[in-house]
Amino acid sequence: MNSLVLLVVLPLFAAFIIPVVAKFSPKLSLFTGPVVLCINLLLIMSAWIKVGSGSEAIFLGGFLPPVGIVFYIDHFSLLFSGLIAGMVLIVWPWDAKESRLYSLYMLLSAASFGLVLSADLFNLYVFYELLAVATYGIIAASPISKVPNSSATAASLRYLFISSAGSVMLLLGIAIIYTLTGTLNIAHLATMTTSLDGFAGLSAFALIAIGAGVKAEMFPVNSWVAEVYGTIPRQLSALLAGLVSKLAVILIIRMLLMVFQQQAAFDLLLVVGMLGVISGEMVAWRAKDMIRMLSFSSIAQLGLIFIAFSIAGSKGLWIGMALMLHHLLVKGGLFLMADRFAGHMGKLKGLAKHSPMAAAVFLVFVLSLLGVPPFPGFWIKLLLILNLAEQGGGLYHVAIATILLATVIETAYIFKFVRILYQKADADSTPINKNYSSSYTFAKLFALILLVSMLFVSPISNHLKDIANHSASPHIYINKILPTKQLGDRS
Amino acid sequence: MTFLDHLFIVVFISLIAISALRNLRIVDKLAPVLYGLILIMLVRMSSVAYGGDVYLSSVSLDLLDFKMHWQFTALSWYFAIITVVAALASAVFMSGDWGRQYREQGGNYGMLQLALIVNVFSMILLLGSGDLLSLFIGWEFVSWASFLMMVLSPTKLAKKSAVKYIVYAMTGAMALMVAIVMIYSVNNSLEFKQIGEVFTQMSTSSQLALVLLFFVAFAIKMGLLPFHLWQAIAYAETPGPGAAFLGAISSRMGMFTIVLVIVQFIGLGGLKQLGISFVNMQTLLAWVAALTTIIPTYIALQQHDAKRLLAWHGVGQGGYMLLGIIMFDSIGSAGGLMHVLNHASYQAALFMTVVAVMYRTGTSDLNKLGGLVTQMPLTFLVMLIGIIGLAGLPPMNGFVSKWLVYRSLLVNGQPLLFVAAVLGTLGTILSVYKLIHNTFLGQLRLEHQNVREVPWSMLVPMLGLSIIVFITGFMPGLILPWIASVQESVGLPVIAHHLGGIEYAKGGLDMIWVSGILFYGFGVGALIFYFLGGKSKRVHQYDNYAGGHFLTSDVRYHYSNNFYPGLMHLIGGWYRGSFKWLENSIVSVVSFFSIFFENIYRAKQPVMLLLIGVVLALFALYRNLGVGA
Repeated sequence: MNSLVLLVVLPLFAAFIIPVVAKFSPKLSLFTGPVVLCINLLLIMSAWIKVGSGSEAIFLGGFLPPVGIVFYIDHFSLLFSGLIAGMVLIVWPWDAKESRLYSLYMLLSAASFGLVLSADLFNLYVFYELLAVATYGIIAASPISKVPNSSATAASLRYLFISSAGSVMLLLGIAIIYTLTGTLNIAHLATMTTSLDGFAGLSAFALIAIGAGVKAEMFPVNSWVAEVYGTIPRQLSALLAGLVSKLAVILIIRMLLMVFQQQAAFDLLLVVGMLGVISGEMVAWRAKDMIRMLSFSSIAQLGLIFIAFSIAGSKGLWIGMALMLHHLLVKGGLFLMADRFAGHMGKLKGLAKHSPMAAAVFLVFVLSLLGVPPFPGFWIKLLLILNLAEQGGGLYHVAIATILLATVIETAYIFKFVRILYQKADADSTPINKNYSSSYTFAKLFALILLVSMLFVSPISNHLKDIANHSASPHIYINKILPTKQLGDRS
Repeated sequence: MTFLDHLFIVVFISLIAISALRNLRIVDKLAPVLYGLILIMLVRMSSVAYGGDVYLSSVSLDLLDFKMHWQFTALSWYFAIITVVAALASAVFMSGDWGRQYREQGGNYGMLQLALIVNVFSMILLLGSGDLLSLFIGWEFVSWASFLMMVLSPTKLAKKSAVKYIVYAMTGAMALMVAIVMIYSVNNSLEFKQIGEVFTQMSTSSQLALVLLFFVAFAIKMGLLPFHLWQAIAYAETPGPGAAFLGAISSRMGMFTIVLVIVQFIGLGGLKQLGISFVNMQTLLAWVAALTTIIPTYIALQQHDAKRLLAWHGVGQGGYMLLGIIMFDSIGSAGGLMHVLNHASYQAALFMTVVAVMYRTGTSDLNKLGGLVTQMPLTFLVMLIGIIGLAGLPPMNGFVSKWLVYRSLLVNGQPLLFVAAVLGTLGTILSVYKLIHNTFLGQLRLEHQNVREVPWSMLVPMLGLSIIVFITGFMPGLILPWIASVQESVGLPVIAHHLGGIEYAKGGLDMIWVSGILFYGFGVGALIFYFLGGKSKRVHQYDNYAGGHFLTSDVRYHYSNNFYPGLMHLIGGWYRGSFKWLENSIVSVVSFFSIFFENIYRAKQPVMLLLIGVVLALFALYRNLGVGA
């Protein structure tokens, strides 16, 4: 089981040797990354089978927790590890001629694996920062065109500012927790949640949530989203919107589920979630080009995920996880397609005639996004709303109303766009950019996965439910990581 | 395998077959055959419409702990038979020369056929739903299916209104979803009967919310006020037979769900207990219905395009259906239910006549038509029968259903609603006269001199529908048993009927007598005219005079603009577009908030705000924890 450490070590190692290898053989350096990721995928698969429905803790460095480093392995973390490997493989920069980009992607994967596997706050923070650094590097190294572009530079600089401010907040939150409890091991923290009740604990959670929320596109700290997604290559947007945002969410969720099971924390997530949903959809409604529309729709979807996580216990994790996977597929797919659709909306007239397949794939994605039966999006939305209704309490009902209102607005702007696609071409229309066929192929693959999963709604949902039940339980978590401490010690 | 399963299988196979073959010529002839097969499947189940047992589907789906099943009650069957007959008529209509012309003009004929079968499929699915979840799914399917048909229209305006429609439809779907969630959260069950049970357990405010949510959802589909703005343009601009089909039945799915949910499970008692003093939910809905009969009808009166005119009437006639059913007595509800079938039959026929005229002349603009009666006599006959039905005059079927509604309003002591209904009928009569006058009567335009009657592939469905319009008017007893079964299955008082009409203590109706006397009167008139010296002289169609002067054929005197100057002088000021204003102001409110949020996202220095937040947090902690101490 200790081989899982390789998930982090291998890409990290690759990141450092790729520049050296590139000196001798650029071809070899290009293939190092994908090979490492494939090895990781195999590792993850074997671990998936080995773990079964249970979970494992890996103790590193010769110290036992709460002092030593721990990786916690269950289906939840393995699922997202697999997604990281797959997603990075899909957006791997085959056509970039720079080895530093390969290094950065490897760094990003190492940090992402670390982020989903770590079980203590210190390591989470380290990996989070590493992820951030890798992201800055990638954004800076891959502008949308080779011509130096001032708006791209400005966007990435602003992203750097706001993201580092977020990191400061995250660090501050962690510091408060440490002051209050004297430990950073999450399992250990889970045994003493009472000392985190009250204002100080809540403000620690708020700081962590907002700090990590910068990457998770959380409402007040997401002004970078449209700007950055508009100036970077679409594959990278797909990676950031699809995956990196989810990793930050996972950080927040781990803290929420294991440590901060308090109503105030749920309410906080609920409120920022609602604001994200409504503001994202409304701004997307006014967007004039597709990337901007997708960016704000992505903000809204993340808001939806936060709303889902505000449902206490495993149900929240279950639905939130389903939403995350769905959004990963849909928004990842849409951003991958966006290459063909770039530019002002008015120029896309006649696209449906020109390539009906692309328009059809687009429709599949947006219909699922809207939650039209029988697409998977419908079932997720239905579950979300039914479970919100069960929560009781006025705020949850407001959330239902917000979601449904947002859906109507979403329908309005998406079908305004679809209408443009199906209009007759005119002089302004630009032919579709056909250079990015590989990302379009992956978009089609995503759509196919979406359609196939439509047939297996029940088994998938049951499986996710099992995963959620297991992962949302602090008891199991504590038992695995701190076998000596029992929940009786929680006081 | 029950008959219902067979029906679903046949519909599904038809869907697959048409979508696979839609670009081949064979689909022209195949589609009517398939609709015929579906009709046979339905007829096999007809026992349900004569008081037989409900058909249950042996298929049920168990998804995510929700059980979905399907069933066919008398109500489902009644709406299904209308749907399938309308689809069959439309499919025959487009199977021949119309389809050829449509293809030549660059229309996507295959998509039109596909849209039609998708509509039929989703409607059958909705009508067969056995619980709230399958209802919701069917509901969404129907919305998207009619959207698919509307976007086939080539004009920009139509596409825009189709998008408008889908936004409205989504609003309705979301309202329905909230209502369903409200019911589910009480007993964790989605069975239909839960609606009634949960309703009685709820607080008054929740009851009110539930009824309003359901009603908004259904009213949007049905195009009731104030949600009527999307319908007319979207339907009118749909290509030919598609418009006939949508106009005939599509929006009546809203009526189906109103009967299924509101009438059956909430009932008169439920509606009446919601309200203060003399205003309750029943009166509110009745007045919504009454205004729906009046306002769209008078908007129709102003139209200069034949299809628009008919489509606006389609909106208006929905009001009669609701008005009848909301009275909850035997004759009123029978009238409301019957009007669904009657309206479908004459509306489809009328749309087809307009499409037939368009097929020959290329326009449906009433200002550019006229005098076609000599050229297209059979089409004229169909339109004549159709408008008599639409106006609700004997001996056509529209009269029967409207008579029942009027009668019920009077019996129930609702004179104001009765006046409103009569006002609506007045507007209908005026505008259908405008329709037939400007299409078939008056001056024949020179360019239409060589216009001929449309081919038989188009005439047959038109004539078939007009025969239905006449027969069900002459012998309403053919339909009334179905109505009685529907009433029985949803718990309404059952109407007493015979072949000619109804028996009712306060005055029945026998259409065989009414029609007999009518034709007898015509017969006497004809006898007097022809045998007692009546002399007739044929004049040429261009032999026209005004003020003693001969009018040459290039002088135009036949317009639909300012058709009723006196009336418009009286009511013209009422056309203010208040609902358009309402719609626009909602859009403005959304824009306002969007701009507000956009400005938030445009904030130049969010980092500064974050840092301020951090400093404030630190300060608060310093006070709270004494960290610095």
